[in-house]
Amino acid sequence: MIGPSRVAELDMPAAGVETAAARPAQSYWNQSWERLRANRLGMAAGVLILVLAVIAVLAPVFSAVLTHYQPQTINLDQTFARPGATHLLGSDELGRDSLTRLIWGARVSLGVAFLTVALALTVGTTVGMVAGYYGGWIDDVLMRLVDTVLAIPAIFLFILMSILFRPNAVTLAAIVASVGWGSVARLVRGEVLSVKQRDFILATRSIGARDSRLMVRHLLPNVLPVLIVAASLGVGQIILIEAALDFLGLGIQPPTPSWGNMLTNAQSYFFHSGFLVAFPGITIFVTVLASNIFGNGVRDAFDPRLKG
Amino acid sequence: MSRDEDHKDDGFAQFEQFLEEWSRRDFLKRTGGAAAYLSFIGGGLAAFLEACAGGTSNNTPTAKKGGHVVEGNFSDIRTLNSMLSSDTASNQVIGLMFDGLLNYKKDGSLVAALAQDLPKTNSDGTVYTFKLRSGLKWSDGQPLTSDDVKFTYQLAYDSQYKDVTSPRRGDLSKYIKSIDTPDPQTVVITTTQVFAPFLSSHGRYGILPKHVLGSLDGKAINTAPFNTAPNVTCGAFKFVKWDKGQQVTMERNDNFWAGPPNLDQWIYKVLPDSVAVTNQLKTGEIDIGPVDPSHFDAVKSADNVAVTEFPVPTFTFYAYQLDAAKKGGKLFSDKAVRQALLFALNRDQVVSAVYFGHGSVANSVEPPISWAYKDKPQVLYSFDKAKAESMLESAGWTKGSDGIRAKNGLKLKFDMITNAGNKQRESMLQVMQQSWKDIGVDATPSLIQFPQLVSQITNIRTFDMFLVGFNFDEDPDQGQLWHSRNTVAGGFNGFDFKNSDVDSLLDQAVGTLDKTKRKQLYGQFQDIMSDVVPAPIILFNHGIWGVSKRVQGADFGPFNQFATRPWNHNVWVTDGK
Amino acid sequence: MLVRYVARRFLASLVVVLGVTLITLILMDRTRGTYVPGIDLNPSLRPEDIEHLRENLGLDRPFYVWYLTWLGSVLHGDFGHSMIDGSPVLSHILDRLPNTLELTATAIVIGVLVAVPLGVIGALRRGSKTDHALTVTSVAGFAVPQFWMGLMLILIFSVTLEQHGLPWLPSSGAFSAFNGGDFLDRVEHLVLPATVLSFFYTSQWSRFIRSSMLEVLSQDYIRTARAKGMSERRVVYLHGLRNALIPLITLIGLELPGLVSGGLVVEVVFGWPGIGKLAFERALQYDYTTVMGVTFFATLLVIAGNLLADLLYGALDPRIRYG
Repeated sequence: MIGPSRVAELDMPAAGVETAAARPAQSYWNQSWERLRANRLGMAAGVLILVLAVIAVLAPVFSAVLTHYQPQTINLDQTFARPGATHLLGSDELGRDSLTRLIWGARVSLGVAFLTVALALTVGTTVGMVAGYYGGWIDDVLMRLVDTVLAIPAIFLFILMSILFRPNAVTLAAIVASVGWGSVARLVRGEVLSVKQRDFILATRSIGARDSRLMVRHLLPNVLPVLIVAASLGVGQIILIEAALDFLGLGIQPPTPSWGNMLTNAQSYFFHSGFLVAFPGITIFVTVLASNIFGNGVRDAFDPRLKG
Repeated sequence: MSRDEDHKDDGFAQFEQFLEEWSRRDFLKRTGGAAAYLSFIGGGLAAFLEACAGGTSNNTPTAKKGGHVVEGNFSDIRTLNSMLSSDTASNQVIGLMFDGLLNYKKDGSLVAALAQDLPKTNSDGTVYTFKLRSGLKWSDGQPLTSDDVKFTYQLAYDSQYKDVTSPRRGDLSKYIKSIDTPDPQTVVITTTQVFAPFLSSHGRYGILPKHVLGSLDGKAINTAPFNTAPNVTCGAFKFVKWDKGQQVTMERNDNFWAGPPNLDQWIYKVLPDSVAVTNQLKTGEIDIGPVDPSHFDAVKSADNVAVTEFPVPTFTFYAYQLDAAKKGGKLFSDKAVRQALLFALNRDQVVSAVYFGHGSVANSVEPPISWAYKDKPQVLYSFDKAKAESMLESAGWTKGSDGIRAKNGLKLKFDMITNAGNKQRESMLQVMQQSWKDIGVDATPSLIQFPQLVSQITNIRTFDMFLVGFNFDEDPDQGQLWHSRNTVAGGFNGFDFKNSDVDSLLDQAVGTLDKTKRKQLYGQFQDIMSDVVPAPIILFNHGIWGVSKRVQGADFGPFNQFATRPWNHNVWVTDGK
Repeated sequence: MLVRYVARRFLASLVVVLGVTLITLILMDRTRGTYVPGIDLNPSLRPEDIEHLRENLGLDRPFYVWYLTWLGSVLHGDFGHSMIDGSPVLSHILDRLPNTLELTATAIVIGVLVAVPLGVIGALRRGSKTDHALTVTSVAGFAVPQFWMGLMLILIFSVTLEQHGLPWLPSSGAFSAFNGGDFLDRVEHLVLPATVLSFFYTSQWSRFIRSSMLEVLSQDYIRTARAKGMSERRVVYLHGLRNALIPLITLIGLELPGLVSGGLVVEVVFGWPGIGKLAFERALQYDYTTVMGVTFFATLLVIAGNLLADLLYGALDPRIRYG
């Protein structure tokens, strides 16, 4: 449960000490969805994230049609151009168009965020479910592994892994996820521990259902609300972690743009061209804000404990 | 690690030239750039008279006593032992507290410090006789004698101290035959051979107190409390305390040989990055600090800070892999390729865009401020894209369907590495990538951490091309980089440049003390280098310093930036605070 | 039962300590290349000098030999000397730890002081405009990258204020370079970094308190209290808040493991001489002994934190049984 841009692990606030109710009925999902839809602020934030994701996916189209620049094309005659007709949001120290780089940066920053969340959740859920369900020595071994991963100061893992695997979007996601899956595993295990005492699980077990079937069909749905909450809160945090790693020099390598390395980069030229820091700064702020608001909305809607 | 018999003999390892110092600063502080380069020795300061002559406002009658100066920098220090230190920041702080036999003037010429005069040299140039100033005292009142000098050098050359992890060992154990102390004021250093750069390279190490460290063995010296809290010093300042990770506080040494310095305290403060240096120069939290080229205007416009700029003997260069057995070597063993790539690079534009004009395009491998500099060596390279393309064409490198040139099925495609965290170098690699793409060459930049870069250059050597900086001192010898002897494992010529003419010129030039002859030899050397371009120099950097207007007598110059500041004790503050 | 559980956890912790230190060492060993810590790039060193250095540092031996040697000395309480500067690793850690504790503790206090009122108000006015506004505010502070917020605060509260002749705050270090170090001076230096760091806690905890208040307020005993005619204020603050705050203590306990990496960015931006900065710098320089020392200490903290959290977790949710 260490925090996000503080270069730590995936954080699953609050949910960690909460427990799920019995297996959510179909109506639970409907109700949750209704609750989420009623949260206009949350929905607006969600839509914004979706729009950004679309922009990220369509980055080549945007730079061809809208900005007419390539993200990595250097033009030393046009360095530090102020925002204007030639460069809508100005150009950077190598004369590259800021808007184009922001659009392409979305690919990296959002890509890393989604991929990290996906990786951390997949690995973490699997480990957590297996550990929680089987208990005994399997639980012991897996949880010691989790303890170990969580106990290595994250910064050492980030530094050494970034040397081992030169950071690009995919390896960076793997690096961040390698720190983040542990807390997911612990969270899921906690849920499973509490769910598996329920009557319906005991019943299903007693009639001899296969373990894998039981886990996927009965445990997973119970764990799902927690995972949804974790995922939606995770995206914004990973964006911040990615930016922090860029700041520390462990992130995405130039010339590939990411929001974090654009912001870090611009900081050195702050006194010279202040506008360069404004746009990546605002973009990160808005994106993280939106995903946190959306995440909170999701939690309010899906967290069974807040019902009623 | 292979041990090459060859490299044990002549002329190896003359200088304390390191790759531009990196440390934390380079890495996490997006700065790099012009500041904080030299990695020289914690030498002396002093040279009272010289400082008077060199500066304009130094030591004028109005100099006030008392007060303090806070110097800020973004490199943390590691040790305060002059024989163990190898990084700029440590050497800089050591320089405030420990004097050596000699020191540098602004222009790089030598000046006496603890020694009375420059040493007498015997007729064949192998024996140097130093006379110490009379009445020298350590800060604790003990006399400083020739024994202390001998002890200091022994740490790095005497086999009795072979466990001392001194970065000076290679040079000193190679060139020093013996040190004699006929009397407490006389030091006689006998060298193994004539080696022209000896004094400028090895005359400046801060002298250590034998009465404190003499009882320790080699291993114990590496971990002695003295290294972090030197309670006895011989420079302008005494040690007060070191708050790790934040600052070193020093105070006036009344036993200093040139008399008590003007200031009561000198504080060296470690800052996060170059942006912080600029901020704190503005707020007055620091009085002295190196200025990043991109912050030049911001500092210049501040009312309370004066900015000084000068060229320094530091260059930024990229090296071609020349080992024909390796992938990069297959491309770069063709001289036309090496020359064409340099022609395709608009270095003027690089200096103005990446360094904001605070640097000088290099014509030669020697620094323009060196006495051996040849302004117009045999081949000059000005930006000429058409010429670059035609050179490649005529050498048989023709464009394929993908726009990349190739010859005999070998594509002109390679990777370039430099260390992560140095803003200017990162930018330069990207400019190189684009410039070469324009002539059909596919170069991919890649940033690695410094330890990995070191491993690449000195041992692993699987790179195609690397970009780094290099520091020089006053002597024009550059054997460390270019002599074929240094292609051994661990050597610095990691790009495998072997040229017998260059070897012989370099050997001859360090084997004589005749400056005219040396200048002529280095001229020939520069001609050859300009033609074969094994590792083109992109630019020579500038040193830029911000100094609070309340501080007087800080007389920065090309060779007086870091450890070697003979003017330190003359610095004073107008408000006396 | 509990004693047995704790004993088992203790044994398990040993495994974790071994695992963590071993993994860290292997990662360093695999990535170091031929770099020898402490000498950077020094062209005047001969191969035999480097070889000698390597032997002195024990780096000529396989990593497991180095590991066992290290483990042996640690068991004797000797953490060795830094490979970079030769000073004792323990003194490095003990020099930096108090600074980090000072910063983190201050940030936590600020975080709690801000988060609790925000969370309570949010819960009491659930769904209202105020609630939404609080939600946005509490997450907004946390949506800005810390390094960026740090620089902005420095530019505003340090540089700009100073240049207008107004009272301003120092921008780096734990105390003033000259004649610093008294209480007030340290407080001044704490303000900016602690503020940046506290945003993290505030946003996390205010949300947490909000939901935990909501939950508590829906409990039977609160309904009972209300039904008995207890004043709303007493219900909220005496019963509601008190019960809602208990889990917060667990969360604060869980911050313990984050000490090393947790405040790293803030420490770097503000030049704060803390343990995170030390760890970061030394890992980049392959200072084996210091990195291993920090890892060891950090692991102990993690284990303590986890144990605490687990026990509290169990105490809070009676459905969880420890066997």
